[in-house]
Amino acid sequence: MSEQVETSSPRIWVFIEQEDGQPHPVSWELLGAAQRLANDLPGSVVEGVLLGHNVAGVAPQAFQYGAKRVYLIDDPILEFYRTMPYGMGISKLITKYKPEIFLFGATTLGRDLAGMIATHMRTGLTADCTELAIDPKQKILAATRPTFGGNLMATILCRQHRPQMATVRPRVLPMPDPIPDATGEIIREALDMNESDIPLRRLRLIPSEAKVNIEYADVIVAGGRGLGGPHGFKLLGELADALGGVVGASRPAVDAGWMDYEHQVGQTGKTVRPKLYIAAGISGAVQHTVGMSGTDFILAINSDPRAPIFQMANASIVGDLYEVIPELIKQVKGMRNGH
Amino acid sequence: MATKHTFDAIVVGGGPAGTAAALTMARSGLKTILIERGNFVGAKNFFGGVMYTHAIADLLPDFWERTPPFERPLTEQGYWMLAPDSVVRMTHKSEHYKHEPADAYTVLRAQFDPWLAEQASKAGALVVTRTAVLRVLQDSKGKVIGVRTDRPDGDVYAPIVIIAEGVNNLLTQRLGLIKNDLPPRFVALAVKEYISLPAKDIQARFGLTGANEGAAIDIFGDATMGLPGTAFLYTDKAGISIGVGMLLDEFIQHKLRPYEVLARFKNHPVIQPYLEGGKPFEYGAHLIPETGYDRMPKLAADGVMVAGDAAGMVDALHREGTNLAMTAGRMAGLTAIKAHQAGDFSATFLNQYRQDLENSFVLKDMKQYRRMTDFLDTTPHFMGTYANFLNDVALRYFTAHGIPKRDMERQIVGMLQERRSFFGVAQDMVKLLRAMRG
Amino acid sequence: MHSVVAIKQVPDTTNVRINPETGTLIRDGVPTIINPYDIHAVEMAVRLKEQFGGTVTVITMGPPKAAEALIECVEQGADRGILISDRRFGAADTLATSYVLAHAIEAIRAEHPVDLLLFGKQAIDGDTGQVGPGVATRLNVPLVSYAIAVESFDPVKRRAVIHRKIEQGVEVVEVSLPLLMTVEKEIAPVKRAPLSNMIKAATYKPEMWSADTPVQFDITQVGIKGSPTIVGKAFTPPPREAGAILSVAEKGLRDAVAQALTMIGQAHVVTVDLHV
Ligand SMILES: Cc1cc2nc3c(=O)[nH]c(=O)nc-3n(C[C@H](O)[C@H](O)[C@H](O)COP(=O)(O)OP(=O)(O)OC[C@H]3O[C@@H](n4cnc5c(N)ncnc54)[C@H](O)[C@@H]3O)c2cc1C
Ligand SMILES: Cc1cc2nc3c(=O)[nH]c(=O)nc-3n(C[C@H](O)[C@H](O)[C@H](O)COP(=O)(O)OP(=O)(O)OC[C@H]3O[C@@H](n4cnc5c(N)ncnc54)[C@H](O)[C@@H]3O)c2cc1C
Ligand SMILES: Nc1ncnc2c1ncn2[C@@H]1O[C@H](COP(=O)(O)O)[C@@H](O)[C@H]1O
Repeated sequence: MSEQVETSSPRIWVFIEQEDGQPHPVSWELLGAAQRLANDLPGSVVEGVLLGHNVAGVAPQAFQYGAKRVYLIDDPILEFYRTMPYGMGISKLITKYKPEIFLFGATTLGRDLAGMIATHMRTGLTADCTELAIDPKQKILAATRPTFGGNLMATILCRQHRPQMATVRPRVLPMPDPIPDATGEIIREALDMNESDIPLRRLRLIPSEAKVNIEYADVIVAGGRGLGGPHGFKLLGELADALGGVVGASRPAVDAGWMDYEHQVGQTGKTVRPKLYIAAGISGAVQHTVGMSGTDFILAINSDPRAPIFQMANASIVGDLYEVIPELIKQVKGMRNGH
Repeated sequence: MATKHTFDAIVVGGGPAGTAAALTMARSGLKTILIERGNFVGAKNFFGGVMYTHAIADLLPDFWERTPPFERPLTEQGYWMLAPDSVVRMTHKSEHYKHEPADAYTVLRAQFDPWLAEQASKAGALVVTRTAVLRVLQDSKGKVIGVRTDRPDGDVYAPIVIIAEGVNNLLTQRLGLIKNDLPPRFVALAVKEYISLPAKDIQARFGLTGANEGAAIDIFGDATMGLPGTAFLYTDKAGISIGVGMLLDEFIQHKLRPYEVLARFKNHPVIQPYLEGGKPFEYGAHLIPETGYDRMPKLAADGVMVAGDAAGMVDALHREGTNLAMTAGRMAGLTAIKAHQAGDFSATFLNQYRQDLENSFVLKDMKQYRRMTDFLDTTPHFMGTYANFLNDVALRYFTAHGIPKRDMERQIVGMLQERRSFFGVAQDMVKLLRAMRG
Repeated sequence: MHSVVAIKQVPDTTNVRINPETGTLIRDGVPTIINPYDIHAVEMAVRLKEQFGGTVTVITMGPPKAAEALIECVEQGADRGILISDRRFGAADTLATSYVLAHAIEAIRAEHPVDLLLFGKQAIDGDTGQVGPGVATRLNVPLVSYAIAVESFDPVKRRAVIHRKIEQGVEVVEVSLPLLMTVEKEIAPVKRAPLSNMIKAATYKPEMWSADTPVQFDITQVGIKGSPTIVGKAFTPPPREAGAILSVAEKGLRDAVAQALTMIGQAHVVTVDLHV
């Protein structure tokens, strides 16, 4: 057990989420954000927290994405995520090392865990943030999040209690570039629990069928109610294939059963951050656009020249998508064939 | 384990008519259930916005102490005649309107109806919401004995049912009290938007001194593209109610979409400045019965009475409906109480309700304006022609051209004759007079 | 069998409007509903009651108006509704909310032991999903979040098998009673309540609890005082800027599409070579 960790400098912690030794990419997005916070918080240090069984192999990746240190609790009890042992283990670390700021991915796991820890530590937790900053005057975390269906943004502060905690949705923050040969220190801590103390056990996992991961796609061709039926998605699929992308959908299209929920973009769906987002037959309601406003380039296709989506698109085509999309497919294919 | 639900009286519908009936009966000790399909009473109800206190006072003499959710008292009322780019205004503002409680207030139904229903609950009525009546239950002789709702174990029984289901009077129709669905000629469709706007802006634009003043303006002519119908602009506390209403027939015939007519009206150069900077908050469409006295359904049959819009009780000319509904509901309730005392629920006994209405303003007014819908129906050009004419006259009259005034007067008469022959004008006026006189 | 369900009355966010001048929520005239997940929690509790007998208690912390929501739960089959309402509870964040609910539940279970606590997975006004885990932590009962089905429930052997939705699929866990579940809508489709429930609910008056009766709450842990987080500022999200508008009607189909592709190409966002 290492004790050479300096205690004076404020620690910014990131929970490194993993399942079966597979790290969740949101952890790296958080490390990137933590680094930006550290730049505004003089003397602070970015560190990772990793729990699981036989997961030490994840730590080097955390170093590459900017963690200076990784606190590791490796224990058979932690093989699968369970609220209680994970929460108790992390609470112990917090009590010992007193981090200033603690960030989690707003995944099902991260939300469950952060909720427990914040209550246990009697501190504040801001959920589902879209932006993190250091308040320049008070030198504390300013966590911004959408509320009321994305109609309003609120910046939340936690003045007196520590750590200041926040969960952040995957893909809201940019993925930092890894530094290949970065290294760091692993600090191991013990869990000190017995299996018999834990009132819950996993009986089995029914894995979901191979699913599209639109959150990490570079090109998304999305359709909405304007498609008028499931057949429209076939056309979008063709364009997506031509561009090497995947298909996304607005909520009405999903609610109508034209597309699976996995494809839904927006407040109650996925947040995406592609390089190119093509929105066809989508009006651009705020609940949809909060899920894709981090896109580099938005191309909107809508027959209504007043569609709100045009207000935010980099390029807009006013026209019938059933004419425009086939033409797009034709021209994209033509280019690739070198015409 | 189906329980048999038995009451002294059942009321269908929680609008002003139904609630007034339920309140009246419950107060006198009848075990009363009011069934409303909305999420709460008033959830989906909306209207233009003027509520008349005389009808509330008849129902609840101490209503003022019960702090009804009124918006603004009416201290200015009147008409605007709209041409495509101008308006002639005729409104009446008076200090005489200023007493408490005032004669009329603008209200929002989503607030007023729940308040009224609460008064009925306090009087002992059982108010059940989120429950729709599917049909009326009758015995083998056709006497009404209860209703079937859309809930499991949902039959309710009572010797008397008061139907106050509003303008979509499906139950009234299924009972055969009215022949069949109203043809589009006899029903108007109104669309309305509630636009939120700071009180100080409303007051500045309408020339009101504070929250103790309010205006209600009915607008003719270009508001409905010259077609028979009216538009309105009412001031609420922190918002404006704006809408247009036309016979359903006109929408169909001219292939107009209600929302587009409203949008066009809102963009009118005279209207637009009143709305500037406001945020559309709520939008809705609702039918208004233009049934008229002669086509009203039978108001009573064995075990059942009909009140309010369901029976076509609307005075469209004065945009009165809620007060007719409330009065009718109260009278139906009083008749039901007497029926219980007499132990007689026959059509003959219940017809007393019709008698009471005939003696009140409700059916007297309906009778007087019995020809109004027909007048508009056969004189469709009326609104457009005369509103434009008035505006042209005004322009002529208020502009100096360096010609003798006598010549100007002749020109004005000429302007009218261009549009309508002398006989045409005379005919229109006689018809209008007849429609007004009954 | 005794279940306690925590429900929240929320503005129907489909109708939410923001005052652009002040950046605050316009609550006037915005209809309120029971948080959509919570009504499924009530339904789950009612089903277990139908199977095993017992009682369903529903609690909420909120303004007096929230009594409506409790009445709606009685319509759905709950037996008892408690509204915890006090000015001093206002402006609570999730930590303060979880304190109030946990403290209330402690008082309820002291009178009548509780086998199951049910929460919605999140409230649609704040979308935090923190209150359920917070209450479980405070009461030290096992937490099963994102529950979608109850495979088995045994109030005698005091064990339940529950399915929960996680990113990798569906996790099936075995857990001891009492436990706290936060539920997805799939947990139990809401059935249409029978008319007798409606009639019962029409005159039902929920119990009203304040900060000091019938249970004493620690005032330092409630409301603003008990909330570590505060809202620094609220604002409407800054808009992205609009780019070129290409009208098919004006430019013709081929040119409009070609120009859009050229712009995408110039932005260097896609690896597919869009212009040759
Ligand atoms: C709490 C809450 C959460 C929500 N979460 C989400 C969410 O996660 N994701 C989401 O997407 N929505 C969400 N919504 C719904 C959101 O408010 C909008 O209703 C929705 O995004 C609208 O979807 P749309 O653009 O596909 O449909 P519409 O708004 O109906 O737009 C369809 C568009 O297609 C255009 N169109 C029609 N025909 C054609 C044609 N032939 N060619 C070209 N254009 C055409 C029309 O002009 C129109 O602009 C949520 C709402 C709430 C209240
Ligand atoms: C745009 C517009 C402007 C108007 N302006 C005015 C005005 O300024 N002043 C005025 O006095 N009047 C006005 N009116 C007329 C007035 O709104 C009506 O005359 C009045 O609301 C009639 O009351 P009611 O109780 O008969 O019907 P409603 O108010 O329509 O109530 C009927 C109720 O029955 C319920 N219901 C229907 N069927 C069932 C069922 N099967 N089971 C359970 N419940 C059922 C409905 O949900 C509803 O709550 C206006 C109307 C409109 C549309
Ligand atoms: N004020 C409250 N009263 C009762 N239950 C609440 C309250 N706030 C939240 N909850 C419960 O906690 C769940 C999650 O809420 P939240 O953490 O606010 O997203 C809700 O679905 C409710 O079951």
